[in-house]
Amino acid sequence: MNKAASQKPAGLWVSKTVVRVLLLLWTLIVLYPVFWTFVTSLKNNQQVMLGKPWDFPSVFHFENYANVWSRAHFGSYFMNSILVTAGSTILSLALASMTAYILARFSFKGRGLMYFIYVASMMIPTTLGLIPLFFLLSDMHLSNSLLGLTLVYSVGTIGILPLGIFFLVGFYKTLPRELEEAATIDGSSFSGTFLRIMLPLSSPGMVTVGIMNALTVWNEYIMATVLINDPMKYTIPVGIAVMQGEMQYRTEWGPLFAGLSISMIPVIVMYVIYQRQITGGLTAGALKG
Amino acid sequence: MNNNLRKKATGGMALMLVLMSLAGCGSGSKETTTQPTQETPTTKTETDQPKEETKDAPAAEPKVSGDFEIQYFVGGYGDAWWKEMLGEFQKKYPDVKIKESAGSQINEQMKPRWIQGNPPDLVYIDGAGSNETQMVKDDQLMDITDWVKQAKNVDGEALTDPLIAPPQDYGGKNYTIPLVFGSWGTFYDESLFKEKGWDVPKDWDSFLAVSDKIKAAGINPYIHTGKYPYYIVGGLLNSGFVSENGDNPQILKDQEANKEGSFKNDAVAKTLQKLVDMRDKGFFDNASFGITHTDSQMLFLQHKDAMIPNGLWLENEMKKDMPQGFKFGFIPSVMQNPGGKYIAIPYTSNIAIAKKAKNPEAAKAFVEFIFTKKAAVRWAELTGALMNVKADLESSGASDVVKTAMKYFNGSDTIVAPVFKLNADLEQAENDATIALLQKTITPEEWMDRMEKTAAKSR
Amino acid sequence: MINLDKKPKAGYAARRRLFIAGFLLPTFILFCVFTVYPLLRGLYLSFFDWSGGSETMNFIGFGNYKDLMNDDIIPTAIKNDYFLVFWKVILIMLLATFFAVSLTRLKLREYGFYRVIFFFPNIISVAVIGVLWSFIYNPHLGFLNSFLSLFTRKPVETNWLGDSHLAMWSLLPPSVWAGIGFYMLLIIASILGIPSSLYEAAGIDGAGQWKQFTKITLPLIWEQFKTSIIHIVITTLNGSFIIVKLMTDGGPDNQTQVLGYYLYQMGFKQFHLSYGATIGVLILILSIITTLILQRLLRRDTIEM
Repeated sequence: MNKAASQKPAGLWVSKTVVRVLLLLWTLIVLYPVFWTFVTSLKNNQQVMLGKPWDFPSVFHFENYANVWSRAHFGSYFMNSILVTAGSTILSLALASMTAYILARFSFKGRGLMYFIYVASMMIPTTLGLIPLFFLLSDMHLSNSLLGLTLVYSVGTIGILPLGIFFLVGFYKTLPRELEEAATIDGSSFSGTFLRIMLPLSSPGMVTVGIMNALTVWNEYIMATVLINDPMKYTIPVGIAVMQGEMQYRTEWGPLFAGLSISMIPVIVMYVIYQRQITGGLTAGALKG
Repeated sequence: MNNNLRKKATGGMALMLVLMSLAGCGSGSKETTTQPTQETPTTKTETDQPKEETKDAPAAEPKVSGDFEIQYFVGGYGDAWWKEMLGEFQKKYPDVKIKESAGSQINEQMKPRWIQGNPPDLVYIDGAGSNETQMVKDDQLMDITDWVKQAKNVDGEALTDPLIAPPQDYGGKNYTIPLVFGSWGTFYDESLFKEKGWDVPKDWDSFLAVSDKIKAAGINPYIHTGKYPYYIVGGLLNSGFVSENGDNPQILKDQEANKEGSFKNDAVAKTLQKLVDMRDKGFFDNASFGITHTDSQMLFLQHKDAMIPNGLWLENEMKKDMPQGFKFGFIPSVMQNPGGKYIAIPYTSNIAIAKKAKNPEAAKAFVEFIFTKKAAVRWAELTGALMNVKADLESSGASDVVKTAMKYFNGSDTIVAPVFKLNADLEQAENDATIALLQKTITPEEWMDRMEKTAAKSR
Repeated sequence: MINLDKKPKAGYAARRRLFIAGFLLPTFILFCVFTVYPLLRGLYLSFFDWSGGSETMNFIGFGNYKDLMNDDIIPTAIKNDYFLVFWKVILIMLLATFFAVSLTRLKLREYGFYRVIFFFPNIISVAVIGVLWSFIYNPHLGFLNSFLSLFTRKPVETNWLGDSHLAMWSLLPPSVWAGIGFYMLLIIASILGIPSSLYEAAGIDGAGQWKQFTKITLPLIWEQFKTSIIHIVITTLNGSFIIVKLMTDGGPDNQTQVLGYYLYQMGFKQFHLSYGATIGVLILILSIITTLILQRLLRRDTIEM
């Protein structure tokens, strides 16, 4: 690389510039819609209707935010989404790592079959399980509850458990066996070896799987719509969809965009703070996966 | 009658009999044994004050108590009327614990509860994902045939007397009572028509003529609501079917009943041809497709389009976005041939008691509570639309469009078709086929074949 | 397989069995209850005629499957599903690889910045993305037409979501927009795992960037590449439902219908829940077949480092 660069610096400079232009272009494509959301959220209907989406609002209608904040419960949507996402990500990770460790390291009868069942179950359409899951939850007195939703996310048909197992089995297989063997010889119990040696070693993979699964849960919409019907227990996607639904009967673009903005702001803030852990975690874990 | 009710009923029976005799029972009709408690509220009100609204009920009296859950869809009419009625109902029956399951997605959200056999007591059936025909088919609603015949509202009138549209008939039985009544039609930009000197269309020929003029003036004559094609079906096609069928609305009832040939006949073919003519003359705004009705209504308000198919809720729905001086004009139909009558295609939204209601007596009491003239006036004032109760609206806050529409309904030039509702499959198929026809991806012939195929499948 | 059984000790085998069972069973039981049971229940439903509202169901054997064969909308939906799968795989993998290679191999200083920006759409809720993009496409109010009008003499009034030829294509940009960052990061990770000595050697041999990419990068990231493609395929077949629901409802006239949304429409809007379940079975079968075929197609000797 360095050699090549010194051999033809001009060619590299050109290609770097071309690439930079393209990267900037994509940056614009990524950021402009978000920026536009914020701009539109400050307009009133007349300003939107002018059909000049580029323009800044002549008057900033901050009341759109107050309006939508008082009507929808974004505060609780957030808390709910965070609770459910954190709960199900952690639970499914715990379960997946245990299963994955066994499937990767121990041989026993039915191992192949079990692995196949898990992997194949990733392809079950989410919606297929919707109605049975609803009945199941209400039999367990868990309908309309965030705990029930968390359980469904962790081990239900949205498939984050099998994804975790699939990914972590691959990850464990790449880890060296010497450490475990040494620990066993030292008299460590099976679970002790797992907890003290394997878990720490697999943490990059766990972070990657955790982020992938957290994103899936964070975005999940259809299960949450059907399983939760108390507005105070809505997650963000449900809150947004309900707002869009209401827009069919009330034309309020400003408040709708204010709602979209409100739902994005904390995510953006959290992302800016933790971007290194998130993007870095994904790259570090995937190294081995 | 479920067990729950039976328990409550036996408990309340003795007290009720006493009350009945005290009240002198003005209801006049015999109680049926299966519905022991439902008369109580009526009885009670009549003792209180037969004509006026009640304020407070003496603590000992109300038989209506316990949990009462109502499911209502919140759409164009908002929820102000519901909140007000429920508030007053609560005042009248302080022992009732009201639970509201309401919102724009409520049909989807409550659906599992209906399947599970744990429905709310009362349901207002409206909005996406609801279909009363299906609910009846699924045996989810209470048979109210006998009750509705003798029920009285809180003012002491027979419940069905003042109704504009009677409870729909399902093979001799009633399950629902229409709460909202209205009509589809074509809305036009009245101020713009006046300003430009355009004539309000009276029939198909004058509609085409004025559309030509509008197009020449650089304005789109007609916008529809592409993502929700049933506005075209309700506002244009159905009236055309009736008109071309010699003004006989039976064709719509036949379609509702999946009758063979009801979607493929001369009347339908001629109507579709008219729609195709509109399309080929370029009268439709290209923006129509793929946008929601609110978006298209906004364009209409901005004078970008001169006419739009819609229902009587329109004015209220768009009230706060009306530009200065905007006026809605309303014509029930435009597809009638010269000399033909206007065809008004009505729609209703119904209220029904769940078959598995846990507190049907409260549900019935609430029905009796809301089907009054006073509530109808409040409905008109709060929603700008029509409740299904004949009330004097001239002095009320009902919108001008609603008042205009009432004049059409009462005039001799208008045929008001009966209320009808296609099943969900036919509705979907008609929406799809109509959009496809407007996009030139199918011919009228294919439109009819598709519908006949769907109807055959439903039979 | 590690051989932990070497140490002969009393009760060792029992402890080992207990450990395996203790680690596997709780998960497997929960999984059976919340995933396998609903699936079997769905399969079971597909043999009945049930609206989803009544308390009784009629057993009709393969009736729903026969209807499926004769349903004109099913082929359209399958075609659209694979349209999305095909173009999403091509566009996402192409762009994600391009970005990943540019960011890592060209050693740009702005690497960290772009990594963060490009991943950003992935953290936005799909619901928000769907609503946002429907407005971007709005013929009069959205900025797409308004942007295009800058370059034309007549204002552009294209009806992106309403035109039967364009609607399906219009669903692609939001999906690609929202998906690239994630796969880009995965590819970046594999590229970073390639020892730089390989590139140095290639550089000495005079191999250009393109040659280095085809000879070194691509073969070495192939496993990750394959996983990413299969992941896109599965999530598309399973998840395109949401974007369709929020943006087009499958319209105009089913031109953007996909199996996932058709399942939802039939099961929940048209009151044929058991037919919806049958569509679900079809999705499951198609996903499995597609994945198996892809596994075979993408098989390529991975280079051991």
